[in-house]
Amino acid sequence: MSEPSSIDCVDVVKAYEDGRIRALNGMSLHVEPGEFVAVVGPSGCGKSTLLHLVAALDRPDSGEIHVAGHDLIRERNLDHYRALHVGMVFQLHNLLPTLNAIENVQVPMFELAIRASERRKRASDLLGLVGLRDRERNRPAQLSGGERQRVAIARALANEPEILLADEPTGSLDSEAGESVLDLLERLREERETTLVLVTHDQAVATRADRLVRMLDGRVDMTTSARDADRPAVLAAS
Amino acid sequence: MSFVSLVFRNLFRQRMRTLLTVIGISVGITIVVALGAITGGLKGTAGAMLREGGADFMVARAGSADLTFSTVSEEEWAGVASLEGVERATGILIHVTQHGSNAYFPLLGIRPGQLALGPPELVSGRLLRAGAPDEVILGSGAAASTGATPGSTVTIDGRPLNVVGVYRSENVFFDAGAYAPLVMVQELARKPDVVTAVFVTTASGTDPQALATSIEDGFPDLTTVASVDEYGKVDQGIQVMDALNLAVTVLALGLGGIAVMNTMIMAVFERTREFGILRAVGWRGSRIMRLVLTEALFLCLVAAVFGAAFGILATRGVLLIEEIRSFLEPSYTLDVFARALLIAAGVGLVGALYPAYRAVRLSPMEALRHE
Repeated sequence: MSEPSSIDCVDVVKAYEDGRIRALNGMSLHVEPGEFVAVVGPSGCGKSTLLHLVAALDRPDSGEIHVAGHDLIRERNLDHYRALHVGMVFQLHNLLPTLNAIENVQVPMFELAIRASERRKRASDLLGLVGLRDRERNRPAQLSGGERQRVAIARALANEPEILLADEPTGSLDSEAGESVLDLLERLREERETTLVLVTHDQAVATRADRLVRMLDGRVDMTTSARDADRPAVLAAS
Repeated sequence: MSFVSLVFRNLFRQRMRTLLTVIGISVGITIVVALGAITGGLKGTAGAMLREGGADFMVARAGSADLTFSTVSEEEWAGVASLEGVERATGILIHVTQHGSNAYFPLLGIRPGQLALGPPELVSGRLLRAGAPDEVILGSGAAASTGATPGSTVTIDGRPLNVVGVYRSENVFFDAGAYAPLVMVQELARKPDVVTAVFVTTASGTDPQALATSIEDGFPDLTTVASVDEYGKVDQGIQVMDALNLAVTVLALGLGGIAVMNTMIMAVFERTREFGILRAVGWRGSRIMRLVLTEALFLCLVAAVFGAAFGILATRGVLLIEEIRSFLEPSYTLDVFARALLIAAGVGLVGALYPAYRAVRLSPMEALRHE
């Protein structure tokens, strides 16, 4: 198991459409190793963009992002970073449709230089962890929305990441399935001491986090810890 | 799940497209294999010709479009034979005529005394005798197709000839032919005082290459051929076949490459989002490139196997025509199949490089947004 890692974003700018849309506008954020941070805010405030930049799926226009000893601005090839340090759960499960559950979980392990038998065992264990050992052979189309998201979580954990990023993981689920996925994420984060950054619109989700970060217009607008008395106000404003 | 099983899975998801691409490439490979086998067979015949009577090299008229058009006068033949270092110079007149159902029956005119010095492998009977102008020895193929045996008579170009022996040749062209006295063949072919070529055996201690050079220097209208590779100097048929082979190879590469490129570009386009997912979960660009290239290579290798099989079937089919069977024996050498395999691999690489490059160049986020 990897040691949890911190995330440092300093004055990050990310614009789209030739600068007309500034998704992040000088955003700064520090996340402690092992911390569970929920990022909330209105649509278009830059929550998902922040997550994509930390996951190195995209590059900022300026600023500094340091995660797990990697400089995400200056490093040319971030495949290695994505392969070893980050697990990402998307709003839509983003599973490969032709592969069954256990094969989908194995996909990130191709970069870990481990044998096929080991890949398979690890994937099976992870599916057991998310309560889907009996659905190993099912393809995404044969799984419910909640089950798909659980497979996606198992896949995100396949490389034993230091940082788990979840972009509205319950956004496409009904409340029961969403609750179950959240329970799972929280439990995994506690068991594995992973740094967890979760973007959500859901207040119930946000209340579970160690810290709540509210974003507005591409910046951090307000931040509260679990014990802050003004947390309800932050949630209400988001 | 292994990398290879992932490749299989991807290829089988669009079965019809994969099948059509395989068929398209197979057609090209079929032609390459069939032409290669036929050219190889022709070269085998040429090689057998060059080794006639254990000769080191052959002397013929330079620039002949076909060896049977070559004429070496008996005067030139004698001049070659008289050169120092020549142990034996055997003149042969090749007269291709109709005999029975064989439209390309090779009647080889040779002096009986010279035939005895480098005789074919006799199956029955005896060789030609000097002073017996109406004798012939038949190849076993010719004997079998006409039912002739030593003691029987065959009629060639309207002339009745006594069969005195039957020989065997590994080459189907010669096995379907016959040897007869030179003078008689010159009469039948209406080519008096000439032979098609002179087959030179060098004396021991003589460098065949040096002797060949001195012959070419002394007889500027003649040329020497020591190997199949030089055969084009006296027969452009093989050169034409080689050129045809090259053209088909280039066409197969080009058209096959386009077919593969089309298939793989469509596959990459359709799977853009999946490539985004793979990148998002940490797959290196090089692994994605390897995935696309391996899919294309596998597709082409399957096409190569089918193409090779169809190529063999096609040449076998051609051999059902008796006229062709009598002079052509396709040569299925390793070289032919290796070339088919290389072309298939080349088609795969050429066709898949650009799609693979496109797949790698996609930014993960851009790919994930793809609908």
